[in-house]
Amino acid sequence: MLNSVRLQNQSWLKMAEYLQVFRRALGQLRGHGGVKGLMVQLFRANDVKTGALIGVDKYGNKYFEDTRYFFGRHRWVIYTTQMNGKDTMWNVDGSMVPAEWHRWLHCMTDDPPTTHPPVPKKFLAEVHQFNVSGSSQAYVPYSTTSKKIHEWVPPRVQ
Amino acid sequence: MEHTENASTYTRWQHDKIQRRILIKITSEGKGTDMASSAAARTATGAGKVVKPIFSRDFDEAKRRVRDLYRAWYREVPNTVTTFQLDITARQGREKVREMFDKNKHVTDPRVIDMLVIKGKMELQETINVWKQKTHIMRYFHETEVPRSADFLSRFYVGHDP
Amino acid sequence: MLLEILLEQCWPSMGSWERPSQLLQMCLLERYQRAASIMLRLPTVSRALSGVAHIKGSVAVTINVRTGATAAPATASNQMEVFVDGKPVMVEPGTTVLQACEKVGVQIPRFCYHERLSVAGNCRMCLVEIEKSPKPVAACAMPVMKGWNILTDSEKTRKAREGVMEFLLANHPLDCPICDQGGECDLQDQSMQFGSDRSRFSENKRAVEDKNIGPLIKTIMTRCIQCTRCVRFASEIAGVEDLGTTGRGNDLQIGTYVEKMFMSELSGNVIDICPVGALTSKPYAFTSRPWETRKTESIDVLDAVGSNIVVSTRGGEVMRILPRLHEDINEEWISDKTRFAYDGLKRQRLTQPMVKDASGQLVTTSWEDVLTRVAGVLQGAQGTNVAAIVGGMVDAEALIALKDLLNHFNTDNLCTEEIFPMAGAGSDLRSNYLLNSRIAGIEEADLLLLVGTNPRYEAPLFNARIRKSWLHNELRVALLGRKVDLTYTYDHLGESTKVLQDISAGTHPFSKVLAQAKRPVVVLGSAALQRDDGAAIHAAVSTIAQNARVSSGVGESWKVLNVLHRVASQVAALDLGYKPGVEAIKKNPPKVLFLLGADAGCITRQDLPIDSFIIYQGHHGDVGAVLADVILPGAAYTEKCGTYVNTEGRAQQTRLAVTAPGLAREDWKIIRALSELAGVTLPYDTIEEVRDRLAEVSPNLVRYDDVEEANYFQQANQLAKAVNQTVLTEPLVPPQLSVRDFYMTDPISRASQTMAKCVKAVTEGAHVIEEPAIC
Repeated sequence: MLNSVRLQNQSWLKMAEYLQVFRRALGQLRGHGGVKGLMVQLFRANDVKTGALIGVDKYGNKYFEDTRYFFGRHRWVIYTTQMNGKDTMWNVDGSMVPAEWHRWLHCMTDDPPTTHPPVPKKFLAEVHQFNVSGSSQAYVPYSTTSKKIHEWVPPRVQ
Repeated sequence: MEHTENASTYTRWQHDKIQRRILIKITSEGKGTDMASSAAARTATGAGKVVKPIFSRDFDEAKRRVRDLYRAWYREVPNTVTTFQLDITARQGREKVREMFDKNKHVTDPRVIDMLVIKGKMELQETINVWKQKTHIMRYFHETEVPRSADFLSRFYVGHDP
Repeated sequence: MLLEILLEQCWPSMGSWERPSQLLQMCLLERYQRAASIMLRLPTVSRALSGVAHIKGSVAVTINVRTGATAAPATASNQMEVFVDGKPVMVEPGTTVLQACEKVGVQIPRFCYHERLSVAGNCRMCLVEIEKSPKPVAACAMPVMKGWNILTDSEKTRKAREGVMEFLLANHPLDCPICDQGGECDLQDQSMQFGSDRSRFSENKRAVEDKNIGPLIKTIMTRCIQCTRCVRFASEIAGVEDLGTTGRGNDLQIGTYVEKMFMSELSGNVIDICPVGALTSKPYAFTSRPWETRKTESIDVLDAVGSNIVVSTRGGEVMRILPRLHEDINEEWISDKTRFAYDGLKRQRLTQPMVKDASGQLVTTSWEDVLTRVAGVLQGAQGTNVAAIVGGMVDAEALIALKDLLNHFNTDNLCTEEIFPMAGAGSDLRSNYLLNSRIAGIEEADLLLLVGTNPRYEAPLFNARIRKSWLHNELRVALLGRKVDLTYTYDHLGESTKVLQDISAGTHPFSKVLAQAKRPVVVLGSAALQRDDGAAIHAAVSTIAQNARVSSGVGESWKVLNVLHRVASQVAALDLGYKPGVEAIKKNPPKVLFLLGADAGCITRQDLPIDSFIIYQGHHGDVGAVLADVILPGAAYTEKCGTYVNTEGRAQQTRLAVTAPGLAREDWKIIRALSELAGVTLPYDTIEEVRDRLAEVSPNLVRYDDVEEANYFQQANQLAKAVNQTVLTEPLVPPQLSVRDFYMTDPISRASQTMAKCVKAVTEGAHVIEEPAIC
């Protein structure tokens, strides 16, 4: 008797769980602005999480938090689609997060820069610079060994 | 099935080891590479000394040994492809084996044939026992070899060495 | 840590010195070094070096400098028998113990003895026991007596060596791990072989202040063992009285008395003869070890002597250049330019083909592009519109390839930069332009007339040979030309060309001297032939030589007339039929000019039409490359197998020591590739085939190290009589007068920083050169 009650109870709980999942799915669908928005989000971020919008930085990157997710997955960024004249719709980079948000995003602090504006430091970049690793502008350390052969440089003509 | 084949081949090899030892003794008597020509010359002139055979007394016997070797290779190829994780099909491997055999099809001297068979057996043994590595097998296919140009001008463009 | 290990390897015997009687030690050192300091200044005073023999008083020492053919032929009758470790050997009277041992193949350890220098006998390392003799004798200075039994490995001998070694090491620093001589040090080797296996020394070591003797030689005088080889070299071979000793006994020091530069064109050789690391090479300091380097036997092309050298390379980089023994050319010496100009091989190099772009700027390009362009230009110009000038460091292979290529375009306008008068016999008779007597032949001469040359800087080793003959064989030297310091005394006949005519006419007082000479030699410097009256001067010298030859009554095999060239490629170019001098090109300016290593600045843009196209092929960005529209990077002499013919007419080959930098290629290969693109493929693909072609044209070019006889002086002289050119009145002044003019004469030495430092040091003094203060 007792067993059957528990079973009934369990199945009811299961039902509630499914309902919860369904509601969240609906919320995600709505939160991203319909099926199209959901698909875009899925392809851009490989995720369809929704959460509380904590803030938007000056470039348009949006920062979210949802503490229901496990620690480490509970804060995330949705990158802007246009940054410093570069199209970042699909070509996003971790270095796009500015320094003030980096602290919050990486859980070094719980205070987002929206409520606690960062102390201005001269080493903080005014304008974001893209990471140039892997491109032709990447930094290459100069050789410290002397050349074995010094070639002749033809004189410049005026 | 494949495996038992293999095992039987292998025992055959063990068996042949004794024969090979004899053979090394023969070759070490200073008839290494020019054996073909000298043997041919001797048969041509038909003079005096009877040539000591390596294994085969006549051409047919030598041919039989070649066929045996070919069969062993033929059976070993799929095994090799799996063992060495080669990026080729068994068919391609067998074609290569055939090509290698065809390369020497002009040879008629049983002593030379025997010698080639011995070399082929050595290769096979090394393959079966995985004494080789992938690269050694793939060397048969000459994939990474850039043909050296023969004419002066292209050699000049390429580098310092002729 | 590494240092400690090295130290232990170098000096296993240096654990701890016990203390011998201090007094005894001092006494012995004093004695040995007194002997050293007495003899130091003697050789040049007494000229014939016999003074050295008197040090030992009773002993008559033979002069051990090789005298070549002048040595009296040995007759079997007066030979005597001595024994070396019981083995009998027949030697001539006057042979030293050391030489007798050498004859049976027993090497006696030595420091101060050097076979080309006078005997000093002050290091005492060569002590050997003579049977039935109470004391060991110094083998280098003691002549053998009949019947002596020399014991080179007896207990007493070994004990003596060990003792001497102990004294030498007493004041020698233990810095082998940071010493540049490490690995090729006589003291290091011999202490391993003959030294004691433990040390007894606990006193303080002597320390000596280092001296700055110029930008080439680094001195670490604490390492000096006072063998005085360098002092003897300077005063005997180099002929400069710069080095000497001061002090006595323990305080004896080698130096220049006052701080000055060791100013000799042969100064680098003291690095080689120094048995320890006291004198080392400054440019080479701390760069490599002898066991790390790969040695390539090659020849030098910076002058026309063709000294034999060893090129030491490591990792595709020339680390240093050392002399190689060749008795007929450079013995075992080389000049400073040969030795130290190698850093010029690493600077100002042409490493990529270049073409001028639309704005006239030279930009790098590929071989395909540049060769196609040049081939197109060559095809567009035929006959007299094409010409070539070759420079002083071009190998015979490139010369023949270029000549064959241009002959395909119907032109024979191939010139060398150096002028040689073509009037009379010109270059048709080889004897006209060779140093026919040969370098070693000077040792047999008794009278030498130098005309319009300064051999000291034009051919330093030829000058060293003259000095050797002057010192040992009483060679009389006369000079016609500007009075210069030749390191030996000579009769200066004036610098006027009038004297030359007088001698050729027989009216000058020197003509009598010349007529009495038994084996006269006349050497005409190629600098004198660069004048407008070169042909007349050559004719006059030819007459003088012919007259001297007739009057001396020497046989046909003795040659009198000699021409001393200054650049390495000239003889090969003349052998191959190049036209000497760029006169023809100046008169008839071509549309396309091919400069093959031509860097002497004989021709400028002003001499050519404005739209002319200049191709420069060579290895250095120097005078020629600036002119060029197209640059083809070639290989320098350490980077190719090339044939060079020296001023004697001796063909020798350089060897490939390092690969040419960047895209540079061997010169003949560039021309061969060019010919294919121009549609006139030259018929050779390998160096052997090029040399076969060389042999077709002139077989002597591939008979290496062989001097082809050339002996048509009479005919040449008769042809020279047909020269109707008047001798100008300008004095005969060779261009290289002082040591300042010696160092930078060609693209390689002009690019060398070491040579630039030398020039600075000789003009402003050695102290102005700033060296890093390490060690």
